[in-house]
Formats: sequence, structure tokens, C-alpha cells
Amino acid sequence: MTTAQSLPVTAGFDAEWGARALARAAEAHEPQWALERRRAAEAFARALPFPNREDELWRRTDFHALEAALPTLDPFSATARARGVDDLPAAIVERLAGEAGNAALVVQRNGDVVLEQTHPELVRQGVVVGSLDRGFREHGARLQEAFGSLLASDYDRYVAIGAALSAGGAFVWVPDGVTAALPIRLFHWLDGAGRLAAPRTVVILGRESHATVIEEMLSEPGESSEAADAVAFHDGGSELFVGDGSKLVYGTLQNWGPSVYHYSNHRARVGGGAELQWIQTVLGGRVAKANSYFDLAGPGASAYVHGFMFGDQRQHFHLHTLQRHLVPHTTSDLLIKCCLKDRARSVYQGLIQVSEGAQRTDAYQANRNLLLSEQARADSIPGLEILANDVRCTHGATIGHVDAEQMYYLQSRGLPHLDAQRLIVEGFFAPVLDRIPLESVRDQLRGVIRRKIG
Amino acid sequence: MTTTPRLDIREGYAEKFGFHDAEQYVFKSRRGLDAGIIEQISEMKGEPRWMRDYRLKALEIFGKKPLPMWGGDVTGIDFQNIFYYVKPTSEEAKSWEDVPADMKRTFNKLGIPEAEQKFLAGVGAQYDSEVVYHKIKEHLEKQGVIFLSCDQGLRDHEALFKEYFGSVIPASDNKFSALNSAVWSGGSFIYVPKGVHVDVPLQAYFRINTKDMGQFERTLIIVDEGAWVHYVEGCTAPIYASDSLHSAVVEIIVKPGARCRYTTIQNWSNNVYNLVTKRAKAYRDATMEWVDANLGSKLTMKYPSVFMMEPGAHGEILSIAFAGKGQHQDAGGKVVHLAPHTTSKIVSKSISKDGGRAGYRGLVRVQKGAVDCRSTVNCDALLLDEASRSDTYPYMEIMENQVTIGHEATVSKIGDEQLFYLQSRGINKDEAAGMIVSGFIEPIVKELPMEYAVEMNRLIQLQMEGSVG
Repeated sequence: MTTAQSLPVTAGFDAEWGARALARAAEAHEPQWALERRRAAEAFARALPFPNREDELWRRTDFHALEAALPTLDPFSATARARGVDDLPAAIVERLAGEAGNAALVVQRNGDVVLEQTHPELVRQGVVVGSLDRGFREHGARLQEAFGSLLASDYDRYVAIGAALSAGGAFVWVPDGVTAALPIRLFHWLDGAGRLAAPRTVVILGRESHATVIEEMLSEPGESSEAADAVAFHDGGSELFVGDGSKLVYGTLQNWGPSVYHYSNHRARVGGGAELQWIQTVLGGRVAKANSYFDLAGPGASAYVHGFMFGDQRQHFHLHTLQRHLVPHTTSDLLIKCCLKDRARSVYQGLIQVSEGAQRTDAYQANRNLLLSEQARADSIPGLEILANDVRCTHGATIGHVDAEQMYYLQSRGLPHLDAQRLIVEGFFAPVLDRIPLESVRDQLRGVIRRKIG
Repeated sequence: MTTTPRLDIREGYAEKFGFHDAEQYVFKSRRGLDAGIIEQISEMKGEPRWMRDYRLKALEIFGKKPLPMWGGDVTGIDFQNIFYYVKPTSEEAKSWEDVPADMKRTFNKLGIPEAEQKFLAGVGAQYDSEVVYHKIKEHLEKQGVIFLSCDQGLRDHEALFKEYFGSVIPASDNKFSALNSAVWSGGSFIYVPKGVHVDVPLQAYFRINTKDMGQFERTLIIVDEGAWVHYVEGCTAPIYASDSLHSAVVEIIVKPGARCRYTTIQNWSNNVYNLVTKRAKAYRDATMEWVDANLGSKLTMKYPSVFMMEPGAHGEILSIAFAGKGQHQDAGGKVVHLAPHTTSKIVSKSISKDGGRAGYRGLVRVQKGAVDCRSTVNCDALLLDEASRSDTYPYMEIMENQVTIGHEATVSKIGDEQLFYLQSRGINKDEAAGMIVSGFIEPIVKELPMEYAVEMNRLIQLQMEGSVG
């Protein structure tokens, strides 16, 4: 890390931002070790080049418009704290569907956490839910080891920028043996173009504990007619630690408005006998790139990932998943469904890696793509890198269109074309939707899908 | 008790193929690569000026292109330490009697003349840089079938040659196609006239003899409307301490209604870098099939491709990769659907053992407007021990919605239940493991000409003996 200070400087990152971010963090009483890491990240943010097309993970996704707009964005605009749920943007209130009292809540608006609300029941259990700032102040020792251990700030330039400017984000801690009584809901809100937010979230489950954590990303919808070059950037990172014998149900539900460039890096580490259930949806944003990786790090660990993407207009989605089996006797199962209409484009890039000696691995990866229009384009790149022999690793990918016979059948029953198509698309997404733990969230996602079909 | 079959279908390579003759040649370029060497090669071949210019241009492109950073490690190739042109004889022989004794002995050992008599329609044999023997059955020649070395093709049929040479794989396609375009020598030139069915295979055999040698054969096959042809190539090399480079370019044009099958049994010694570009264009209702078995080499990077240019075209790629100790087989294939109503199928089987690394790297691409396309890809990998590695990197780029594209891949070891079942039927463990491996590659082996299929199965059965337990 000390060498980071002596790195060269590459144009593209505003040095003044680094200084301001440090000052802001110091003001928020960020501990010394965290400030040190921020400084190191800033050096990487200044030195590293932007990822380019030579990098296999960036060949199919173009961030150039964002690169150009980056200096015009504002990572420092302060947002006033909300006095209660009623002060939150209407879309979030709607998402909560009157359930705010039955969950722990952390709501971030642009760069700031505006609402932290836990619940007496969770407090009694010793479950910690709050902003990352609060986590730094009150649980610094616990965070010092975990924070940054799965997501290094020099992973690439955008991660470095995110780590240097990071503000907001949440810290969740569930003690050993505790089953969190209520779901934990984290919201990220962007007030449209011109914003840059880079929250970092840490979720830690001790041994033999259970929790449900749902992260939702929302912003002001329906501003697509605004100047086409007006952009916002969300550059978030999350680290999840699922202790031995624990179970985490985790949702990342992204539904940004049309100005948002999204880049997220999620990393999970699953301990022995532990289970991660991860539901991912990608619906919004102009260009959305998500790296969702997990490590199965203890014998008996398992991970189940279910995700769907639905793109329309000129949306571009890029999801990269990594299923890393590091030790023997681990299981993973992944299903990503993607539906595209208009001129939308998706890239699914997935890799199963089985380390040397990780015998008795059972890994599955499936990617299904449904194209609704002639201009839509789907790339699917599922991959296997297997270094152990006593394994069962399988992947499958399909790309197809709405089956003419199914359409004909439904229309012959008197359903208009659009309704028939909607039924088919809903049926396509159903296996993933059914995994989403909260009924109200499921319903709202169905609504989004319906609106997209038109 | 664990099952670690020591399957090695390449056991005995040293005795069977690993020998080499004393180096005898009528000309050998100095080591390294520059415009001077290329002019020398071109002059020795007495080529027309356009070809010399083409080579020089390609050399320029080669210099500009970076080495591929993906796939295998090619940084070990010292391009300036290679002999790019070794001319073994002064001219191509028309009968075995005229082939120099050393070479005749080599090809006899490899069973080429025997095979020719038994089941081939024609044979070409390349030794280092030049084809030393070429022969085609008389009745085919009478029907207008051309089967020559590529150099001879250029001399005898310049107009036809010029029309198609480089039209499927331009020099600028990749670094190694540029290198081949600059220094190519040997290979086959085949033309099958309209409606002619060559129903027994034509075969070419490639042999590297000289140490630090680079072999850059160039093959151009034109199958005219409604014609059929099956071309088989085999290759071996001596085992030297230093590495050789084999970098071929194969271009195939399959005209409307025609069929072409191209079968490769690649069995280079473990010190050969095998970096080959193979591509076919298939026109209306034409069928192109690649059967690609990679057993040898240190590193193979080869992805035979079919570009389906017009409606009704069909492409098929069957690939077997076998990686033993120190080997990396980065095999696979590409199918590109450029027209509607085209279909393709890729089947890949890879086996890794003793720390070898075998894999599938492939592309299915459907271009805009290519509606009603179907493509399926099936990849299976078998890992025979824990030190080995298997990779699968399928790419699917789909720009059209009226299509059906599927990909499936599995990686596994020899199943204990399968072994147990066979053993419970009184079959000993070695035999059982051999049967399982044979069954695993059977879908592709059955597509080989019978003589090769029998040989392949026999090799596997033999080598599985005493290897389990």
C-alpha cells in the first residue's frame, strides 16, 4: 500500500476530489486506518488507466461517454437527513408498501445516508444495522479486518475511484446463533443526472445465524427526454461474509432511471456448511455493468444465484458472475434469465472456477435469453475452468425468441398479441421471481416487467 | 481406492513417430525472418510478382500485430531462431520410386504408401517446407479433379488460384495468418469440378524433420457446385529438445449444393507449437464439416470455422482434444451465421490427464438479418486425474431474434458407478476404463474414416491396459 503514493498519474481523475473526500471522511470521524486506505485508493484512482477494450471484461461494454462526463459529475452534494419515512422519495415509500415498521431500513440518497431505522426486536437480538459511517465509529475493530478484504481498491480504476470517494453505504452485523427477526432493507436513491454516488456496504453473518438483506436501487423515473448526454454514475461495492453454518438471503434489485451508468462489484465469501441465496435483477440504467462474485471457502458451503435482466430501448446490461469453488465438497447453482426488446443489448459472462484439490464440487450455471425484437442483441459467454477431477460441472446457455406456437395458442384463446407476449415473458421470469422473499417486492417487480412489455 | 487410469494414446510416440532422418536438404534459409528471406523464398519458387508482393505485405502486417494475450502461452516462440524455409528435394516426385530413400523410409514407417493403395483417392506428402510427393487416382484426374501441392497449384492454375487465395482468410486476420501468408510453402491445392463426387478421401501427410524448423503449409480447397470431397490430413514430427512452429492456413470454398469434409489427425510431437487458422465459406445449401482431432503438440490454438454465407448452408465441427503431460490443447471452433435458414452444430470432447490442459473455445455468431438459424453446441470434458485442467469458453453473439441457439457443457471424471457396473459384469478395471473413454469419444471417432477410427480405438484400448488401480 505504501507504494501507492509513488504511483504515476493518469488523466481522468480529479485530484481535488480525493482531497475533498478525505476531508469529508475525517469530518465524519472515519478511523485512521480507513482514512489510510482511502488515501491508497485515491493514489490508484489517479494512477490506473480506465479499463479498455483489450480487457476481456470490458470488450463488450462501452463506458466512454461516462469517462468523458465524469469530471462534470458531483460526488459531494449534501442531502438533508429525512425525519421519517414520509420524507423519502415517493418511489421508495411505494416500495415499502406500508412495511417500513416491519423491517430495518438504511436509505441512501445520492452520497448520503438520509435514514437509518432499526427495530427494537433486532436491537434486542444484537443485530446491527446502520450506515457504514456509524459502523466505522461503533464497530471499527470488526470492520477493520473485513472491509476491503474481498474487494481490493486496485481491482480496476472505477473500483479505486469508488473506494476513494466512497460515502454512505451500510453495515449489517448478525451475531452468532441469531436469526434476524425482520428483513433488512437497504435503499439507494439517485436524484437523476449529474450525481455520482459510491457507497460501500459490508454484511457480516457470524456462525449459525440467518438474515435476509434486500438492496434496492431506484431513481427518478421517466426523464429519458432530458439531454441525452446527461448522466449519473453509481459506483457501488458490497462485501458479504457468511459465517460457518449461516444462511444469508440477499437481493440486489436494480431499477435505475435512464440517465444512470451503473457499475457494481459484489463479493461474497461463504463459510463451511453455510448457504448464500442471492437474487439479482437488472432492469434499469442506461449502461449497467455488474460483477457478482462469490467464493465457496469452507467444506459444505453452497450458493444459489437466481437473476433476471430485462432491457428495453437502448439499454445495455453486462453481468459477470464468478462461482469460485476453493475447497472440496461445495455446491453452486446459478440461473440467469435475460429478456430483451427494442434495441437493448445484454452480455452475460459467467465463469465456474474449481481450484486445485477442490474435489466433489458440484457446480451448475445456466443462462437463458429471450429476444423480443429484431434489433435486440444478446451475448452469452458461460465458461468453465476446472482444476480438479472429481467434480460435476455443467453449464448451459440458450438464446431464442418467443415460440410461435405458444403465441398462436394464446392468441387462438382470444388473447391480444401484447397480452400473450406478456404472459410468455412473465412465465419466462417466473422461476426467478418466485425466489424473491418479499411478496410486496415480487408484485412491484411484476409491475415493472409489465410496464416494460408495454 | 481411487481411479487414476494412465491413459496415454501417445505412449510409444518416440519409437513410432519421434525418429528423425539426418538433415538433408537442397536449400535451407538462414535462421530468422526478414524481407530478404521472403524474397529468397519467392525467388526459389519462381513465383509471380503479385505473390511476392503479397508475402512482403503480409510480413509487414505480421510485424505490426501483437501476440495474442489469451489462450495459450506463445511467448516462448523465438521468431528469429526459426528456419522458415527448408527445401528437402529439388522437385516433387510423381511416384514413390522417385522419392529420396530417407524420406521414403520415413513415410513408409508412417504407413502412407500402404494407406494410399488401400483406401485413398490421392495422397500428398510434405516434408519440411515442400511437398515431396503427390498423386491422385487417374479416374479422378480425368474428371477434372485437381489435387496438387499449393505451389504447383499456383504455377499450373494461376487464375483460379489468384481468385480464391486469401479470400477466406486475409493475411491481416491474425498474427499467425499474417506469418503464414508471408512464408507459406507447401500444402494442398484442390479443385473439385461441378457435380463430381470424390467418394474416397484425399489425404495429405505433413512431416517436420529439421530441428528448429517452422512449417507453414497453405491449403486451398475449392469444391464447385454439387461436388463432394473428403480431405484428410495427418501430421507428426521428431522429438527434439527445442521447439518447432507449425502455423498453417487452410481456406475452403464450398459452393452451392457442395459438401466438404476436412479431417485432421494432429499428432505432432510435444515440442511443436501448433497455431493454425482454418476457415470455410459455405454457400447456398452447402455443407462444411470439420473433424478435428488434436492429440499432439505442446500448444495447439486452433478453431476451425464455418462462415455460412447463403441460405441453407450447414456447418459442423467435431473436435477431440487430448492433453497429456505438458500439453495445452486450446481447441474449439467457430460458426458464423451470415444468412437466414442456416444451421450449425459443434460437438467437442476433451480429455486431460497427467497435468495436461485441454479445452474448448468457441464462437457462435448470428449476424443481423440471419433469421431462422439454429445452432447447438455440446462440450464434454473428461478429467482423468486431479493434476489436470479443463477449460470451456463458449462465446455466443446473437444479433437476431428469430433463432434457436443452445450450448451445453459438462466436465466430469470417469464415473465410479460406471466402473463398478462394468466390473460387476466381469470386465476388469483397465478394460472398463478403456471402454468408458472409447464411449466418451465415440460420437466423433465414428465420423473418422474407418481405418482411422479402428486405429484410434485400438490405441486407446491398448494404452488403458494395466493403467488403472
